[in-house]
Amino acid sequence: MRLVDRPWTAHQVRLTRLARPFMVAAVAIAAGLGLSAALPGYYVYLAISVIVAAVALLGLGIVSGSAGMIALCQLTFAAVGAWVVTGLNVAGAPGGFVLWLAAGGLVAGVVGLLVGLPALRLRGVNLAVVTLGLAAAVDVALVQVQFPGTTEGRFVDRPGPFGDDRSYFILCVLVLAACCLAVHFVQQGRWGSGWKSVAFSERGTAAAGGSVSSSKLTAFATSATLGGISGGLVVGQVGLALPASFTPIQSLALYVLAIMAGAYLIDMAIFGAVLWVAVPELLKRWGVPQDWGFVVFGVLGVQALTSGTNLGMIIRTALWRRSASKPVAPTVSDAAPSVSDAAPSVSDAAPTSDPAPHPSPAPARGSMVLEVDDLSMSFGHVQALRGVQLAVPEGAVVGLIGPNGAGKSTLVDVISGFLPRATGTVRLDGVSMAGRSPTRRARLGLRRTFQQDRVPPGLTVGAYVRYVARRRLAAEDIAEVLDFFGCPPERTRLADVDAGRRRLVEVAGHVLAQPRILLLDEPAAGLSHDEHLALAQRLRQAPARFGLSMLLIEHDLDLVRSVCDTITVLDFGEVLASGPQADVLADPAVLKAYMGETEML
Amino acid sequence: MNGAVNTLELTGVTVARGAGPVIRDVSLTVPAGTVTALVGPNGAGKTSLLEALSGVIPVTSGSVTVGGTPITKLSRVARARLGLVHIEQGRAIFPGLTVVENLRLTAREPADIEGALEMFPELDKRRDSPAELLSGGEQQMVVLARAFVSRPAFLLIDEMSLGLAPVVFMRLLPMVRRFAEQGVGILLVEQFTHLALGLAREALVVSSGRVTYQGQAKELLNAPELLHAAYLGGADAPRQ
Amino acid sequence: MLQGALAGLAAGGLYAVLGVCLTLMSRLVRVVNFAQAATGMFGTYVAVWLVSDAGLPIWPAVAVGVVIGGSISALIGIIIGTWLPEADTGSRSAVTVAVLLFLISLSFILFGNRPQPFRPVLSGPAFQVSGVVISQVAIFTVVVAVLVALSAHVVLTKTSVGIRLRALSERPTTAELVGIPARTLSVAVWATTGAVGTLVVAIVAPTQSNDATALSMLVVPAAAAALLGGFRRLDLAVVGGLVLGVLQGAAAQLSQLSVARHFLPFLFIVGLLVWSQRKEVWDAAR
Repeated sequence: MRLVDRPWTAHQVRLTRLARPFMVAAVAIAAGLGLSAALPGYYVYLAISVIVAAVALLGLGIVSGSAGMIALCQLTFAAVGAWVVTGLNVAGAPGGFVLWLAAGGLVAGVVGLLVGLPALRLRGVNLAVVTLGLAAAVDVALVQVQFPGTTEGRFVDRPGPFGDDRSYFILCVLVLAACCLAVHFVQQGRWGSGWKSVAFSERGTAAAGGSVSSSKLTAFATSATLGGISGGLVVGQVGLALPASFTPIQSLALYVLAIMAGAYLIDMAIFGAVLWVAVPELLKRWGVPQDWGFVVFGVLGVQALTSGTNLGMIIRTALWRRSASKPVAPTVSDAAPSVSDAAPSVSDAAPTSDPAPHPSPAPARGSMVLEVDDLSMSFGHVQALRGVQLAVPEGAVVGLIGPNGAGKSTLVDVISGFLPRATGTVRLDGVSMAGRSPTRRARLGLRRTFQQDRVPPGLTVGAYVRYVARRRLAAEDIAEVLDFFGCPPERTRLADVDAGRRRLVEVAGHVLAQPRILLLDEPAAGLSHDEHLALAQRLRQAPARFGLSMLLIEHDLDLVRSVCDTITVLDFGEVLASGPQADVLADPAVLKAYMGETEML
Repeated sequence: MNGAVNTLELTGVTVARGAGPVIRDVSLTVPAGTVTALVGPNGAGKTSLLEALSGVIPVTSGSVTVGGTPITKLSRVARARLGLVHIEQGRAIFPGLTVVENLRLTAREPADIEGALEMFPELDKRRDSPAELLSGGEQQMVVLARAFVSRPAFLLIDEMSLGLAPVVFMRLLPMVRRFAEQGVGILLVEQFTHLALGLAREALVVSSGRVTYQGQAKELLNAPELLHAAYLGGADAPRQ
Repeated sequence: MLQGALAGLAAGGLYAVLGVCLTLMSRLVRVVNFAQAATGMFGTYVAVWLVSDAGLPIWPAVAVGVVIGGSISALIGIIIGTWLPEADTGSRSAVTVAVLLFLISLSFILFGNRPQPFRPVLSGPAFQVSGVVISQVAIFTVVVAVLVALSAHVVLTKTSVGIRLRALSERPTTAELVGIPARTLSVAVWATTGAVGTLVVAIVAPTQSNDATALSMLVVPAAAAALLGGFRRLDLAVVGGLVLGVLQGAAAQLSQLSVARHFLPFLFIVGLLVWSQRKEVWDAAR
């Protein structure tokens, strides 16, 4: 019955997913129309300021929230947008304000790219230094140079039908709605997943075939574009561009506000903008110096940054708890039955009672998918790998075992390209991987999972596996593979999934990518004994079912014994034995090294 | 030292990490001058237990006392000052400090440093070179020497053998015995089960976060099937 | 031009001292302290207020300012040490951005947003060599920069406190496990760098542009100086600060560079970062 329902519900879900944001936008625009008619004149002016700030915060939310970077020059990008609009006005360029506004956004985006480009590999702090440096320099320079037309008093005219404050407010509402829609869909798409992935782990991103630098760059440029648009809107609001609107201290305050409010959530960006305007306004009314506003932001910012929470997160969690406490079962417990459902059906196919389980016969295995030759790697004085040789035939599951510290994880790092200093060759389908980045290798079908948790908690299960798979997937295919590996359903937030199961989601995502070979680095760690057994059975079926080959790195001999037909043993960075399971495990040298038997004494 | 008073005592200790408990309900007594071995498969929660004892992560429930003093509320530094010394996994040297500087950090008496260097002639030869330039075995010697000069009451040792050649490890193992002979109580986590059991008086096997065997180390050593059952975490594993 | 370059020495010395402070903080307490210069600015403004409104003589006033600067810094250190003891450098540094905002705004409220009426602590030329004047302030800051870097080096390598600090910076958790009082030592580092920063700002600020924002933004050239030493080497931080100051001083003499010179620290930073990050580096060791 579920199967019959599924295509329908999936289709419906897709439609509502597409339609709902537009409906929300329509309602918002209608509300804007209402406000523009109902509000007193001064409030309309303030409301425009709110929208200007909202667009800038929307951008900051992407860099600071989704992509986890510190960017302190949002108003510098706004100044670029303002510069373009005033410049085009002075030059008498054709097209009018709306086109100039778009041009301002575009140019700011390009400036963002140029600033971000050298910052490609920069971590949070370095980007913060660069952006603060830019903000400070532009601030001083602007005072000296002034915007085009400011000293001569050449005002920028608002476009025809939006001449007065009330109608200009409507234009701003339209611009904001468009920006919000764009940000929403980008966040839901590949770019958005990439930003959240990069914020959590660069290595995890690269292993999924995502480019770390382009994720950071797109985040930075998108944010700069929105900054530019916000700057253009200010020019339309005031008629002139003044350096005082774009000071570094305001950029700092905006950053702090974005963190505090959780501006990566669209509604929170707008709420933050309301605070941005309302707090100084209220202070003014109460006769308190307006600088107290930033003092308060500073204190609340310290609180938010030290506690790692923000308003948006607090509100969302509260709402989610309330809806979860209703009779409808939470998504996570939905997952549990499907796991136990899956287990018996798997054991039907290969009964556990089988004393010596053998891997299911794999498809024709002639060629080698992965060949590793004479691989060596040292860290300082410690030789981690020495002349390692290894091959994985088409459709096989090869086990890689060895005591802790034997170099197993280092070997996976070398094969997947994270340690380019290693010597020796790695070949995928006969093609050398030398000089290729982890991202390139992943895209070519050489995939790996991590021993550590590299699954970004900011995504849903579905968004994550789609990002990792890097190809168009039908909802049914995703559901099937998730079910097969005992993962929670698509809509579950990864933050609600426990660490052991998160790694199963990681495996499922990489399987969906249809790689040539998948390196699994201790996939069973953090699972219970029963889940171990269930995973072993699934891994055994995986090659035939999904047409991939696997290298399974494990410490647990039982798991390896039940899944792998050939085994390679690593000890002190060298291959101690390699061959059919039975031979290797009977080798006294292996026993000695692996079990740490008393013979060593 | 009085064994009855000077013990490291755990009562019903449970440690959680992230989503849920990684090891639960551990009760055990480490008397001064003895080795207690803690063995079990990877991911069983052994490291987490040691980290909870030394204060790297909090103890979720249960109590821990050192010589009668409850320590679960104390800071890491305060626990170290009570003589509870944690030797972390993976050669926890200070890489930029020289050998002597590493020892100066914890030495109660300057004379102790010379004593420690006499025990490890390899280190004496390289006393002024940064610890990061030493070999793996020498680095582990620095860690042991650093523990030695701090005159510990209890040692928590986590996988000393990690990434060391067996010969090197064999060279270090007698040090553990020597610590015990001097009255130090030792909780030893070791992947080389048989070596650990050979040193220990009492042993615990943990599997999937639960204690599946607790009793005489010798008994476990002489009964491989017992050890195997405990490793697999069967429900009917013996428990004394 | 030479005169301009030498005039830049005072600023360069200031960058160097702040750069050394930033380097020490980055190494010892894993923070890039964006509020470093703002802390100095705030302490200095307190000193100026004590002189102009409370009628205190200049040196006691500066002493009070230095104590206040050190205390503010220590307070930030306590906050970060309490709530983010094991967070990465990025998260810890982000807190100081909020503090920077807080200090600038608070100084606007307490002292107004006009430049403060400084009476220079040191003024006048120290000596003259073939027509080129070298001011007392320039001599003072350069000497202080070198002294601060040297004494920091001596403390770190020769004293037992220094060894503890280095241990703490290399492996914070292990350091605590061997009984090194991490919190106390960290707060001491924060207090010391805060006090030193304030002292230098108080002495050099009158010769520089002296509004709150400009003084707080001195953290940018200071970061550029620290970057030359990779936030690790004190000697290179001193060199970086002095070079940057001299370059800016020289550029100020050329009218065609008058706007471009504001971008010097920024370009310096970008150039150094691109150079230092030319090899691929990952966010986690494994």
